[in-house]
Amino acid sequence: MNLDLTAEEQAFREEARTWLRDNLPTDPRPPEGQEMRAFDLAWQRTLFDGGWAGINWPTEYGGRGLTDIQQMIWYEEFAKANPPFTLNNSCTFVGNLHGGPTVIVNGDESQKATYLPKILKGEQVWCQGFSEPGSGSDLGSLSTKAEIDGDDLVVTGQKTWTSYAHVADVQELLVRTDPTAPKHKGITWVICDMRSPGIEIREIRTMSHVTDFCEVFYDEVRIPLANVVGGINNGWRTAMSTLGFERGTAFMADQVELAATVERLIDEARTRVGPDGRRPAIQDDELARRLAVARAEVTALRSMTITGISRNARTGVPGPEGSIVRLFHGELHQRVYQLALDIIGADALRLTPVDGEGVWTGPYLQSFAYTIGGGTTDIQRNIVGERVLGLPRA
Amino acid sequence: MDLLPTEEQDEIISTVRSQLERNFDLHALAASDGAASVIDRELWARCAELGWFGLGLNESLGGVGYTLAEEALLFAEVGAHATPGPFLATVLSARLAALAGASDLAAGILSGEQLVALAEPHGPGDASAGATVSGTFRVTDHGGADLVLVLVGDTAALVAASDLVAEPMASLDLLVPTAIGTVAGVTALANIEDASGLRLRATVLVAAELAGIATATAEQSTQYAKDREQFGTPIGAFQAVKHRCADMAVRAEAATSLTRYAALAVLEGQPDAAFHAHAARTVAATAAIENAQINVQNHGGIGFTWEHTAHRYVTRAQVRSRTVGDTRAHLAALLEQPALA
Repeated sequence: MNLDLTAEEQAFREEARTWLRDNLPTDPRPPEGQEMRAFDLAWQRTLFDGGWAGINWPTEYGGRGLTDIQQMIWYEEFAKANPPFTLNNSCTFVGNLHGGPTVIVNGDESQKATYLPKILKGEQVWCQGFSEPGSGSDLGSLSTKAEIDGDDLVVTGQKTWTSYAHVADVQELLVRTDPTAPKHKGITWVICDMRSPGIEIREIRTMSHVTDFCEVFYDEVRIPLANVVGGINNGWRTAMSTLGFERGTAFMADQVELAATVERLIDEARTRVGPDGRRPAIQDDELARRLAVARAEVTALRSMTITGISRNARTGVPGPEGSIVRLFHGELHQRVYQLALDIIGADALRLTPVDGEGVWTGPYLQSFAYTIGGGTTDIQRNIVGERVLGLPRA
Repeated sequence: MDLLPTEEQDEIISTVRSQLERNFDLHALAASDGAASVIDRELWARCAELGWFGLGLNESLGGVGYTLAEEALLFAEVGAHATPGPFLATVLSARLAALAGASDLAAGILSGEQLVALAEPHGPGDASAGATVSGTFRVTDHGGADLVLVLVGDTAALVAASDLVAEPMASLDLLVPTAIGTVAGVTALANIEDASGLRLRATVLVAAELAGIATATAEQSTQYAKDREQFGTPIGAFQAVKHRCADMAVRAEAATSLTRYAALAVLEGQPDAAFHAHAARTVAATAAIENAQINVQNHGGIGFTWEHTAHRYVTRAQVRSRTVGDTRAHLAALLEQPALA
């Protein structure tokens, strides 16, 4: 147990701070379409050129081979630099934070050489094809079928809740390759080229008015067998590794940013008139108590993130304990924005974008995703109960 | 940066755990329920021999020479076993006496010879804990005590127990004998004018004890959910129960992680030490109380009985969440802190 930063980590923090001061974009992020994609990829390229892409990725795949603590330091410095956009609100999220890491752990050398540099250099957008209309929480029941024909898989079916499918180059896709095997034994994890013939993408408007959510239809789409990661019919194991990253480390940036959000909210409460119409909101007993609780809880979240990093450093890969942090974080994120709306009072009647300066209602609407995406909180509770605590399955 | 115990710290934890299980069995301690004093002096001396009371005190001051981090690990185990006794008053007063240069006094406390009660201001009247001590106080573990540690804001003093007139009350927690005590202008045996550092350590240690309660109750419920069968299956297979257990584990993890962080921030004298101590104290208090309460529910009828230990955690969590300030006070203090750099 120690809070020490090594000389290297301290130097890293300084280096990050200086670089961000000189290189952080000042323009707002375009909210949708190809402009958004171009912005996200340009920022990823800037990160790569500056040496800030793949901070905790192995050096042989273009990363810097640094520690998760350094990755966290980077997020902290980013959040403190007062950026005009949130870090994870990017079409580069899937590639950087779970597609890429899954390939690092499960991919063959050719796959690593093909995909990993492109992700880091901002040359390729990834999306996720896991959920289906009939397979949400029960992911293992997925029915999008894939038949082997020569050197290809031929895929027919439908995926949904696929963020950024309309601007993506490739997809981490789960398909059923053996319909006769027990449900978790007949699944394959494969990289699908989103420009393949037979793919149709429809955008889905969300309650937060974001249009990057999509459903994807596959009509005899051919995917080379060489794109299978982790082996045919071994996809459930590969998917668990993806979800380990998605639930364990992918949201570290969000967790760090939430602490900055609470401080912004405390500042708002000092300057805004409170419920009595006279005193600042922070002098209202109930709002003050809730702000203090939020401050305590985001501080707990940070220490839980560090505990998770400490645990991963001992075991090498994110374990099911990641769901403890993910569960706490998702619900806390929502509570913070619910509190925000109570503090801004009548200003909550004004719709804002999800991203940008001084926005509260857009992120409030977006916050509902935090207890659904990557496995609902009910599923996270099952995972904590069964895989961390060892309670029996139903 | 690392928030998991080292191998050496894990050994301390397992030694403490086995001693507490052997010597502070809650079923055996039930014989002391409601007694004015629940501490056996011989047992207390044995805890002293193990170095528990001076764990985080420098060797030059008569301690073992570990840090607040190890003390916090000890207190987490004390909480986890709902161990009664004036652990907090003892550890704090040994430090106070040593820092005030009263080395004989410190030695008596460290050896377990001197039992120390804890007093905090009670009611609206003025209280002071300087060279002279006076006021009305809430006193815990007063019966059989030789000394009383008086904490008033950022001042702290030690007085002789005989200088305090105590009126015992029926205690919510029957193993934490509580009294209302008055002291009228008594000269302190030792005192420190700026006890803010001592109070910060106390805040962390109480947080650790509360985090231990949160952890133990989460484990007790999980074990019961595996063992108890209804409708032909362990009740932990039902989502209603499983999800409560999961939430308990989340609260325990939050309390434990933050308390460890706070202990390290305080011992290293970081500028954000108070921020983390107040935050840890509030998160741990909420986790302890909620987990202890839900733990009773998870056990059904047996959880409501006196014989079962579930109620011990409920009352201990309530008492400790009012020791060295309460949750409201710590939340207010947290909100006054500057933002983390």
